[in-house]
Amino acid sequence: MPFTRSYRVSQVVDPAHVDGNEIDLDVVREILSHFTFHDFQEAQELILGALMEVNRQFGWVSLEAAKIVADHFGTSDNRVYALLTFYADFRTQPRGKHFMLLCHGMSCYVMGSQKLVDELEQHYGITDGGTTADGELTVQVVNGCLGVCDKAPIVELDHEFHTELTVEKFNQVLQQAIANGGGWRHH
Amino acid sequence: MAADGDTTDMHVQGDSTLPRLTSRLEFQQYAASAKDKWNSLWSSTNTVVTVLVGSSSIAKGAEKVLDAAAEYALMKSNVVVRKTGVDGADWMEVQVRVKRPGGPLVHYANVTPDEVVDVIEGRLESKALGVDGDQPSGNLPLLRDHPFFKYQQRLILRDVGVIDPDSIEEAISRGAYSAYFKVLFEMSQEEVIAEMTAANLRGRGGAGFPAGIKWESGRKARNTPKYIVCNSHEGEPNVYKDRRILEGDPHRILEGLLIAAIAVGAERAYNYIGGEHPMAIKKFRKAVADAERLGLIGKNVLGSGKNVAFRVRTGGGAYICGEGSAMMYSVMGVRGQPRTKPPRSVEEGLWKRPTVANNTETMANVRDIVNNGGAWYASIGTEKSSGTKLMTVQGPLKTMGLVEVPMGITLRTLIDEVWGGMRDGHKFKGIQTGGVSAGPLKDEHLDLPVDFDSLTHVGGMLGSGGFVVFDESVSAVDFARYLTAFNRYESCSKCVPCARGNPALVEIIDRIRLGRGTKADLPLIRRTSKHVIELSLCGLGQVAPMPLLGMMDQYPEEFETAVTNNTGTVLWLTQRQERVLATEITTTPAAD
Repeated sequence: MPFTRSYRVSQVVDPAHVDGNEIDLDVVREILSHFTFHDFQEAQELILGALMEVNRQFGWVSLEAAKIVADHFGTSDNRVYALLTFYADFRTQPRGKHFMLLCHGMSCYVMGSQKLVDELEQHYGITDGGTTADGELTVQVVNGCLGVCDKAPIVELDHEFHTELTVEKFNQVLQQAIANGGGWRHH
Repeated sequence: MAADGDTTDMHVQGDSTLPRLTSRLEFQQYAASAKDKWNSLWSSTNTVVTVLVGSSSIAKGAEKVLDAAAEYALMKSNVVVRKTGVDGADWMEVQVRVKRPGGPLVHYANVTPDEVVDVIEGRLESKALGVDGDQPSGNLPLLRDHPFFKYQQRLILRDVGVIDPDSIEEAISRGAYSAYFKVLFEMSQEEVIAEMTAANLRGRGGAGFPAGIKWESGRKARNTPKYIVCNSHEGEPNVYKDRRILEGDPHRILEGLLIAAIAVGAERAYNYIGGEHPMAIKKFRKAVADAERLGLIGKNVLGSGKNVAFRVRTGGGAYICGEGSAMMYSVMGVRGQPRTKPPRSVEEGLWKRPTVANNTETMANVRDIVNNGGAWYASIGTEKSSGTKLMTVQGPLKTMGLVEVPMGITLRTLIDEVWGGMRDGHKFKGIQTGGVSAGPLKDEHLDLPVDFDSLTHVGGMLGSGGFVVFDESVSAVDFARYLTAFNRYESCSKCVPCARGNPALVEIIDRIRLGRGTKADLPLIRRTSKHVIELSLCGLGQVAPMPLLGMMDQYPEEFETAVTNNTGTVLWLTQRQERVLATEITTTPAAD
């Protein structure tokens, strides 16, 4: 989104090394067939929703998928990619095996989520949006709020909430998830 | 009317058993039968078990509790299990309510999946907190006498946690669409807007602009078609009020929007929901699909000759899309970046047509205003800020949650009574107001009434009603850095003062936090902030440095100590902070 983010360290993971991250373009076309429109306005309004659906299904949106979306709605690739790089929920690189939303809303901050962010940077080498070098874990730091404020700080790891975290408990949760296998796709 | 409705959601379908109502009489009959069904549910000889399931209680295992209760009900013929949204009392979650034949409704709090069967059978009365009704039952007090509920006046939240959000029938049995019905058949556009103006309902999104005046200018606008957009984006890091209504009583918001569309003469109404709230999106889409099947949305609604269309649109996680013009750009499928005003959106909004944009909470008030009259609504709250306000709180408090209180209540009552005071081992230091757009307040300000105008004199703000209480363990310098960094991250980088100014502010605070600050840094912060405030294009930039300035005003000693002693406020450094420290400081702070 803003160019103020450009200093961020990002780790590029080859999609081929993470199972199930390839985007099946036929599935993308199937998703798009649900997004019918009757006029120009409706087509424009639907682009974001269609991209969200692709993002939800595969965990990211590749350049090829973005091109298909652009073709479907009769707009330019540039326009679609501009959306993908503006809105924080979209990812243009594949997710790791496990996907974690780390709530960094004010409640979590007041109760110590900064320690978790620092822990990730120190011991896992990842910042917001990054994936660990082994492709196990992707983290997205949520600037808004996950809405479980009385149990702060919280994370949502592979669609499961973990509440009232300390750094020790946080590490324990992560190690256990990685040891158990599974991943965000299996829920 | 599927053609103009929301045909795009792959996962939500309307209830196919719903009849299609085509006349005034059919609606009245449907409402009467829904009411009978609701009454017979509660007067039957069955034990009615209600589990409150919402995005916050799911994190605490509400779905497992519901499953366990449903499994138990399969074996018992006289147990009915239903689910509702969460009612705002986060500290009681997971909540289960049990109504036994002949007895009052008993509220049980903090129920785990293992305990739910014991709770239903009445073997675990230690979990019971209170009862509904006119008098206490046995040794259980009335729940509404509990401090958390005592100060509340629940108008918008009346049905949240009571009805099943997926059932339009239950909503109608509790009075949903009664105001819409009135607007369709009994009131003119002018009368509706007159009630709204008399209610003096001020926009709940934060700015506090009267909704009636906005509707009136929308109605008078000459361009057509016109649109209504409801702003359910709610991207602030400390507010979860709209989400709870959308999850618990979506029909209330939908009704408000439909009334607005008729009153303004709009062709279509939109609800824009932030992508961060998947459950709210799902529940609201279901509500729209059901209302469409029932014939409340479409052409010639209930034979009244009036048309209204509806669309739900979702965003993708960008705080800036809460700003009016940015939200409309996001609906139109482009980057959500604000534009300069004028023209205001009631002249040129969505698709360059007159557009009335209101907050979700504003829309939720419409039903009661139309039904009970504007004068009734204006009598609640204070003279200049009428009505009730949803308030959320975060931080180390005992009984946290979403509450609906009349305007004018003091912060001290809220913190000490409603939210139960500080947890043991935490000492109150301050309360951050207005989300990320205003400064903190200290103990001496807590006796001020909470309304749109009172807090601004001391550097606070009501905003969207989100408060954050912080204790002595939180350093003011660090908290200021967090708040400024939030605005830096969420800046859309369209205009330079905001896109470059906020990173510069974070850099200065980081310098101070790392023990490299100088005395000249404090005036430098004020000067940079002044530029950002005065030169930025939209509301985000114009208030972005306010929390930082507020922290400096309220806790000057902490900033002074940090720059004079050069002790720094961080205990150890992350890699990024080491990099910051390693770079030679080239800025030469000049005198103010």
